[in-house]
Amino acid sequence: MAEVIQILILGMALGGVYALMGSGLSLVFGVMRIVNLAHPVLIMAGAYVAYWAARLYGIDPLLTLPIAAVILAATGVILYKLVFEREARSAKYSEMTVLLTFALAMVLEGALGTAFTNTQRVTSPDYATDAFFIGDIFIPKGQLYAGIVSLAIISALALFLKYSRFGYAIRATTQNREAAELLGVNVNLVGLVSFAIGIGLAGAAGSLVSFVFSFFPAKHWEWIAVLMSLVVLGGMGSIFGTVLASFILAVVAAFIGAYFGATWSTLTFFVALFVVLLVRPQGIFGEKPELA
Amino acid sequence: MASLDTNDVLVARKAYNAGLVQEVSKERAYWFPAIVLALLLLLPLLQFTGNYNYLIHLVLFTASYVVMASGWNILGGFTGYISLGHNVFFAVGGYFAGMIFARYGISTIILAPFAGLVAGLLGYLIGQITLRVRGPSFIISSLALVMIFRILFENWEFVGGAAGVSLKANDLPVQWAKLPYYYAFVLMAAFSVWAAYRIKHSKFGLGLRAISKDEIKAESAGINTRFYKTLAFAISAFFVGMAGAVWGEYLTYIRPNIFLIILVSVNMVLICILGGKGTIAGPVIGAVLLVAFNEFFVATLGASEINILATGLIMMICLMFFPLGIVGTLARLRKLPRILNWD
Repeated sequence: MAEVIQILILGMALGGVYALMGSGLSLVFGVMRIVNLAHPVLIMAGAYVAYWAARLYGIDPLLTLPIAAVILAATGVILYKLVFEREARSAKYSEMTVLLTFALAMVLEGALGTAFTNTQRVTSPDYATDAFFIGDIFIPKGQLYAGIVSLAIISALALFLKYSRFGYAIRATTQNREAAELLGVNVNLVGLVSFAIGIGLAGAAGSLVSFVFSFFPAKHWEWIAVLMSLVVLGGMGSIFGTVLASFILAVVAAFIGAYFGATWSTLTFFVALFVVLLVRPQGIFGEKPELA
Repeated sequence: MASLDTNDVLVARKAYNAGLVQEVSKERAYWFPAIVLALLLLLPLLQFTGNYNYLIHLVLFTASYVVMASGWNILGGFTGYISLGHNVFFAVGGYFAGMIFARYGISTIILAPFAGLVAGLLGYLIGQITLRVRGPSFIISSLALVMIFRILFENWEFVGGAAGVSLKANDLPVQWAKLPYYYAFVLMAAFSVWAAYRIKHSKFGLGLRAISKDEIKAESAGINTRFYKTLAFAISAFFVGMAGAVWGEYLTYIRPNIFLIILVSVNMVLICILGGKGTIAGPVIGAVLLVAFNEFFVATLGASEINILATGLIMMICLMFFPLGIVGTLARLRKLPRILNWD
């Protein structure tokens, strides 16, 4: 029994991190209909910000989080202006953006690899290797803190979307772009801001990732499928769905890892992605099969 | 009242349909690829005058990409289903032929068609599942497929796991050692271009092109879209698998991190986008350009990281500024040189 609880806790702790990694992706898809395959590599960029801040100046990754978020959000604005704004008129828009973001992911991977080489990196603040003990059960501090910070950020985002005036505009655009535009919402600005928020979330997630997982540029391919599985299972565009899916899949993966070996725990996400796309492409909370 | 004979209508419609299928450009220069093929078949004669193994390798490499990209084009270009996971079939073909070669010593060149059939069969089964979704969902599911197969192959002890299996190199003198593979790839490339042409200008190809324009309308026009696109998936997997079979023996080893890396499938996609999706000459032009780019970057910059960056950058520029590719864009501007018009 203790073992089961232990695995559950480890899975939940990772689920919190995955939730932040996936929510930016979900937001960008919801508002912009962009399936952003470059999201994981942008998380990677955020992780490098945290890594170099820790390595050069000894700053704690949790303190770098806002800086990484702002840097990445600025990157998001530039990318949006350079690449995605002009593509909004393309006929096969959502299919086109998949290929475009895929190419963008390669560009960023190559750039990160050239700048920082493909060595495995990890930031190691004290808490990353420490744990709380409750009887026989241990809770790794790093993952716990990451999970708490991540849930705090997501809650703030949810409150912003739910109660602020701009949040209304974002949700309206997610529901129906044309109708929102007719009612006077500046959909272009909403698109730009939500894209920047989404990429900023990637930066924030990156600094958490930097002490939870070891990373190197080429690793983002693995994350693409992991994050896609979360977002697709939760229903593309539903942030709550993404969070729920993160916890479900992380716990399932933790159990599979514990009983069948670590290799197969990664496979959980890929198989889940495959099955969900084919059985219920709209995910748990998606209303209509957006992607089909 | 003059009665209209049903038979006449049917005959007329059949004639009209046949006309649609055979609609070929009068300008097309079928003689140009034939001349290129003849020259390539004679190219190894150079070996009598010195060592041109590097040149042979480049042509072989290009030809292997022509086979894969022409195969990919049948699904991605004609039918409009972009797959980023076609290297799964490259790996399946490579492993099938490579394992038989390692165990029984049968040349992979002989095994290539069978490896293609195995890959095609797998493609048919996978297509039955994944072709139920389209657009971004299909692209993402194809990516997931690569990840799944990578893990499966890395943990399958019978095929050597992550370390793979090394294959015996042939014992020809170094000057001639590459030639069997050279001829195999050049002939496969010629076959795949010819097959792509025949498919495009058949009733089947017309159906595929209808699916890529508007699947719902195609279905209501009486095309069995489900069967058509699954068959297209299988055929494209066949070509990619065939290329994989010989590629393994040429490299003298089969290993997941050769076959199942994302760069292989990206290259197939990029070649078609660069040359022109859904055209016959596109994959050939794209493959020549891509191999030239690659050699240029490796020669001047050396690093594989820059190579990834450059590949991505070329793909982005192409998608943003000429989504129709070289052949498609020139054709739209009516400036396509005659020698590139193979349709």
